[in-house]
Amino acid sequence: MLEVIIVDDDQIVVFIQKKMITNFEIASHPISFNLAQAALEHIIKDRQSDLEKDYLILLDINMPHMDGWDFLDCLESHEKKSNYHVIMVTSSIDRKDKEKAKKYSTVRYFIEKPISAQDCEKIKEISEISHFFERV
Amino acid sequence: MKKRSGELKVLVIEDNPGDFILIEDYLSEEHNALELQRAETFKSAKSLLKVPSNFDTILLDLSLPDINDTEILVKEILALSYGAPVIVLTGYTNKEYGVKTLSWGVSDYLLKDEISASNLSKSIHYSMERKKVQRQLYESEEKYRTLFDFSPLPMWVLDRHSLEFLSVNQAAIELYGYSREEFMEMTVRDLWAEDPDRIEKTVEENFHDFFTVKVKHHTKSGQGIYIDVQSNPIQFGGRQARVTLAHNITERLKAEERLKHSQQRFKALVQDGSDLISILDENFNYIYVSPSAKNILGVNPERIEGRNVFDFIHREDRERIENKIQYLGKKKAYQLPSYRYRDGNGGWRWLETIISDLRDDPAVNGLVANSRDITKFKVQEKQLRESLERYDIVAKATSDLISDYNIKNDVFQYSNAIYDTFGYTKDKIETSKQWWQDKIHPDDKERVIEASRGIHERGQKLLNIEYRFKCANGNYKYILDRSYVITDANDQPSRIIGSMQDITERRKYINAIERSNERLREIAWTQYHVVRAPLARIMGLIELLKNQRNNLDNIEEIIDNILNSSEELDKVIRKIANKTEEEF
Repeated sequence: MLEVIIVDDDQIVVFIQKKMITNFEIASHPISFNLAQAALEHIIKDRQSDLEKDYLILLDINMPHMDGWDFLDCLESHEKKSNYHVIMVTSSIDRKDKEKAKKYSTVRYFIEKPISAQDCEKIKEISEISHFFERV
Repeated sequence: MKKRSGELKVLVIEDNPGDFILIEDYLSEEHNALELQRAETFKSAKSLLKVPSNFDTILLDLSLPDINDTEILVKEILALSYGAPVIVLTGYTNKEYGVKTLSWGVSDYLLKDEISASNLSKSIHYSMERKKVQRQLYESEEKYRTLFDFSPLPMWVLDRHSLEFLSVNQAAIELYGYSREEFMEMTVRDLWAEDPDRIEKTVEENFHDFFTVKVKHHTKSGQGIYIDVQSNPIQFGGRQARVTLAHNITERLKAEERLKHSQQRFKALVQDGSDLISILDENFNYIYVSPSAKNILGVNPERIEGRNVFDFIHREDRERIENKIQYLGKKKAYQLPSYRYRDGNGGWRWLETIISDLRDDPAVNGLVANSRDITKFKVQEKQLRESLERYDIVAKATSDLISDYNIKNDVFQYSNAIYDTFGYTKDKIETSKQWWQDKIHPDDKERVIEASRGIHERGQKLLNIEYRFKCANGNYKYILDRSYVITDANDQPSRIIGSMQDITERRKYINAIERSNERLREIAWTQYHVVRAPLARIMGLIELLKNQRNNLDNIEEIIDNILNSSEELDKVIRKIANKTEEEF
C-alpha cells in the first residue's frame, strides 16, 4: 500500500494539500506533520511493523528545526529507501535546489506551491508509484 | 773717266807680265784704292785662294803654263772663288768657246785685244753687281725654303691642276705619318675624309685665288683630324701650283665642344633648375637673375634685374637679413635665415638663400645668391607647430596623464599630471617601461601586460584598459588607460601615446552601486519567499474552491483561510515598503 505523508510547518498548506490528495484520490487518509522530526519518527516507527509499505512524502524545504534537506539526509541512511518517494514542495523552485535534490535517490518530483490539479495528475504518473493508481 | 770710289781687291791670274801691267794700268785709271794680287800659275792661284782673302773679283787668263785643260781650270777656280765673280781673259777669238765658259759659271768673258780701261772696269762692276744680286736671290730662296721646311705648321705645295703633292714639309710628315716619298706619290684628295665635293668646288672656284676651308683629313693611321686650310696660288718650278698651310684645329674643336657642353650644362642648371640663382652687386642690386625666376616667383627676370633685393623682402624680415649680410666679405659663403619674398602675383614665398661672395672672380664680379623656395616646407612646419601647440594645450588642460612611450629607446614621457594626479615629482619619475609596470597593482599587472602584448605582437592599434596605478604616497588610483599606437614607415609600432584618466571616484561609485545591488538582490530574494508563501496559499485555496464547488462543508473554512492569508500578505507587503524606505 501507499501511505501519503505531508510535511509542512504551514497549517493552511497542509490543509490544501490534504484536500487535493483526497480529491484526486491519491490517498484517502494522508497523514500530516508540522515538524520534519515528527514525520521521521513516524516513518521509523511505522516500518517496524511487518507491513510492506511505500511512502509518498510531500516535503517542504524551508522549515524550522529540521528542514527538508536534513530530512532527506536521514532517509538516505534507511534500508529499503527505494520505498520512499519524495515530492519536494516549495514556495519557489530554485535552480540550485533542483541541482541539490538530484543527489538524493528518493526525490521523484518538484512542486511549486500551491499544489495544482495538474500536479496531482503528475504524481499519479510517477513510474515508481503509478501501479498504485491503476484502475482495475 | 771718273774715278770709282771704294777699295777694290782683285786677283789677277796671268803668266804674261806685259798683260799684267796693262791690266794694272787700266784698273788704276779707274780706281783709287786698288789692291792687286798676281798669281802667275794655276798652282800659285790655288794656294792663294785656299786662304780666305775676300777678293772682289778674279781675273783669269785661260793660257797658263801649268794647265792645259781650260774646263778644269775654270771649274776649280770657280769652286775656290767664294762667291767672287770670275772674269775670263783670253786671246782666243772663238766666241763659242767664251760662251761655253759662261755656262760653266764665269761672270764675263773678255778678249785681251779688246780690253780697255772702261770696259774692264764695267765688266768687273757688272759682274760684282750680278753676283751680289745672285747671292741675295739665293739667300732669299734659302730663307724661304727654311721657312717652309722647318715651319711648325704643316705645309705643302700642290700642282694646281692635278692636286699632286710637289713638296711637303717636316711638320706635315709628322702630322700625317706619311713619308716624303709616299706624299710624292699622292694627291691631296687622298687625305680627305669627308665632303670631297665641297672641297673640290672650293678649289675650283678659287683656282687663281687665295682660299680657306675647314676639312676633315685622315692620317696614315686612319685617325680623323680637323684641318683649317689656307691655300695660295704660286708658281713652283715653272708650274701652276698652290702652297697650302694646314692648321690642325682638332684640339681646338674638342675644347670648343667641351666648352659648349659645359655651357649647356650650366645653362640647364641655371635655367631649368629648381633653384633661383642671381648675381648681385655690392649694394644688393640685381645684375643677373636666372630664368627659373619665372617658375619659382612667376615673374620675368628682366623685371627684377637692376632693382634692389630689399624691395622684395618682407618688411618684418629685412632686419634679420641685414644683420646677417653686414659681415659680407669676412666669409666666402653663408646661409641666410629663411625670409619672405614678394612673388609676381603679390603673394609671399618663403625663400632660403646661400650667398657666395664672388666679387674677386672676374667672370662673376658680384655676389651669387642661390635661393630655394621653401614655402611648402614652411607651411608644413607651421601646421606641425600648431599641432604640437594644440597637443601641449590639451595635455595641460586635461587632468588625464598623457604619456608618450618611445618603444625603440624604451623612454616614457609624462605630462604634468604625473605630479598633479599621482603625486610624482620629477626626481621620482623614471622613464623606463619597467618603472611604469611596477606601478600597476599586482592583481592587475598580468592582465595589463597581456593586453599590451596585443600591441607588440598582434598589431593592435588601440588599447582600452582599466587598472589600478600606484601613487607616490602608496595609494592606488583606478585609471582608464586609452593608448594609441603610432607606427613607423615599416608599419612597426614605434610610439604609444597614452591617456590615463583617473577614474577612482567613478570606480568608487560603481563599487558602491555594485555592493548596493548585491544587497538589493538578497533583499528581493528573501522578500520574494516571504511574499510567495501567503500568495501560494491563496492560490492553493482558490484552486480548492474551484474543485470543491459541490462540497459545501469546507467552503467556510477555505474562505476564512483565504482571508487570513490575504491579511498576512498585506502585512508582508507593507513591511517591505517600510523596509525599503529605511534602506534608502
